[in-house]
This record gives sequence, C-alpha cells and structure tokens, in this order.
Amino acid sequence: MSLIELIDKRTVKVPLEARDKQGVLRELVNLLASATDKVSDPEALYRAVLDREALGSTGLSEGIAVPHGKTNAVRNVCLAIGVAPEGIAFDATDGKPSRLFFLIAASADKAGPHIAALADIARLAQSGALIKALVRARDASELIAILQGD
Amino acid sequence: MTKPVERIMVYLDGSEGSILAMRLAVVLADFMGAELYALSIVNTRALSDLVQSHIFLEAEREEYRKELFDDGARYLNHAVEMGRKKNIFVKGVNVSGSIAMGIKEKVDELGIDLLVMGPPPRIRSRRDALFDELESAMRTVDCSVFIARNEERIEKLYREL
Repeated sequence: MSLIELIDKRTVKVPLEARDKQGVLRELVNLLASATDKVSDPEALYRAVLDREALGSTGLSEGIAVPHGKTNAVRNVCLAIGVAPEGIAFDATDGKPSRLFFLIAASADKAGPHIAALADIARLAQSGALIKALVRARDASELIAILQGD
Repeated sequence: MTKPVERIMVYLDGSEGSILAMRLAVVLADFMGAELYALSIVNTRALSDLVQSHIFLEAEREEYRKELFDDGARYLNHAVEMGRKKNIFVKGVNVSGSIAMGIKEKVDELGIDLLVMGPPPRIRSRRDALFDELESAMRTVDCSVFIARNEERIEKLYREL
C-alpha cells in the first residue's frame, strides 16, 4: 500500500493549530478519529504514538517528522498529514524544528502495508526540495497536488 | 513440442490483487498443466531503509521482520490451500530482501515462464511509479507477465474448476 493510496483530503491539515509536540500528536489523532471511521479508540491511538515517541523521536532532519504507532485501536492503515509552517520543537535528529508531519497508524495485522507506506515517506524525506514545497502548501488540496504530481 | 508455460509463479503480499492473481494462476496451472509456485518476500530492504532514515529503531526492525515473516507464511498457507481445493499442488517459497530483486531472482532460479500479478493501484504519483517494486519487477523479469484483471470472471473460472 503506497503513501498516495492512503492520502485522504479530510485527514490533511494546513496549518496545524498546535504549538508543541504533544499538541501536534493529539491534533493529528483527533483529525483521524473525527474525519474517518478507522479509529475506534482515539485515546489508545494517542497513547501508542506517544509510547513510540518515548523510545526515540521520529523527528528526522529537513523538518519532517513521522510519528507512528501499531495498535488495534485503528482499522487497517491510516494516515494524517499536518503542516506547521512556524515549526514545532520535536526533538528531531538535527535539533531543528519540525514543520511537516506524517502520522501513520496501523492495526497489528497490517505490518506489510504499514512498512510500505513508511518506506514511501522515507524516500520522500530524502528530497529537501519536495519537503520545502510541501511546507509551503497553502492548503490541503495544494499539498495533495504536490504529492501526486511529484 | 515444448509446453509454452511449464512453471508459473505468483507474488503474494496479502493484497486483494495478489489473491486474485493466485486464483487466476491456479486456473492457468490446471489449463496449461504447469507447475505453480507462490512467492512471499519479507521486505528486509524496506526495514533497513527505515532504520537508516531514523524512522525505525533497531527493535522495531526486528519486531516487524518477525511479523512480516509470519504474515508471509500465512499467505503461503492460504495459497497452498487454494490450490489444494482444486487439486493443484502449490509450492510455497518464502524469502527475504527487496521485492523487485526477490521476484527477479526467483524467476531466474526456478526457471519461471510466467509471472502472474495482481492489478497495480490506479492512483499513482510519478514518484510512486518510479519506486514501485512490483512495477520494477514487471519491467525487469526475464519471463512473460500476466496481470489478473476482471475479478468477476476470474472468480467464476476458479469456481468452475
């Protein structure tokens, strides 16, 4: 399952309202829970993502962060994307603020699609120009168009 | 005269498309009198990429590797059972590595004449198309490739077998 297949305009938020790490995770989880029927227990999903972050930040270089979690509180694989143009302190590997967030959650029996989607993001993260273009997107439609057109 | 197709292989990833491809392959194996292989690949290449990019921790790599292996074994068991129901012997093969390379290597190693695959997703980006492992396999394997389409017809063929 590729990243493109998971993108849903309802679960893309530009810009995010949150101003700190926990707030971003909460906002993205709530977005998934309110816009789709894939999340049966938002609190359990938030906990799963937070527990993973406690083991090591998923904030990468170039301002991208990929919080993720495996929990049966979600059905199949789901993705929320958020942009914080001002940047959020996310304990990233390069110490810089994170601006582009891909939150991916999958149920325990969906390891294959989960890995495939994360691998797509890993490839995307190698393109600094693409990340900058995504961060500059004015709204969800523009962000999706950039991802699909790339 | 040499049989046009002696060995068929299906790549299984648990998707509906790959299950459809498996059903078609069972039908084709019966019709052509061909041997049938089902291939599952633990995508350790993707796991390594995720660790290198710092998305995954080492512990996650190992956890997911085991899960992918178990998933693969389950897909193969399902494929063997699909064949057994129609009196077709299916040989399951479970390997690790990259998807595209794994398919290509097994086609060569087993002397596969026909690779049967599920339909690719319809919505794609240029980046996706470039990096899609199945498309890469389809472009580079040294055998004919059959794409399973028309679910209704394939289900009917499989049922009637």
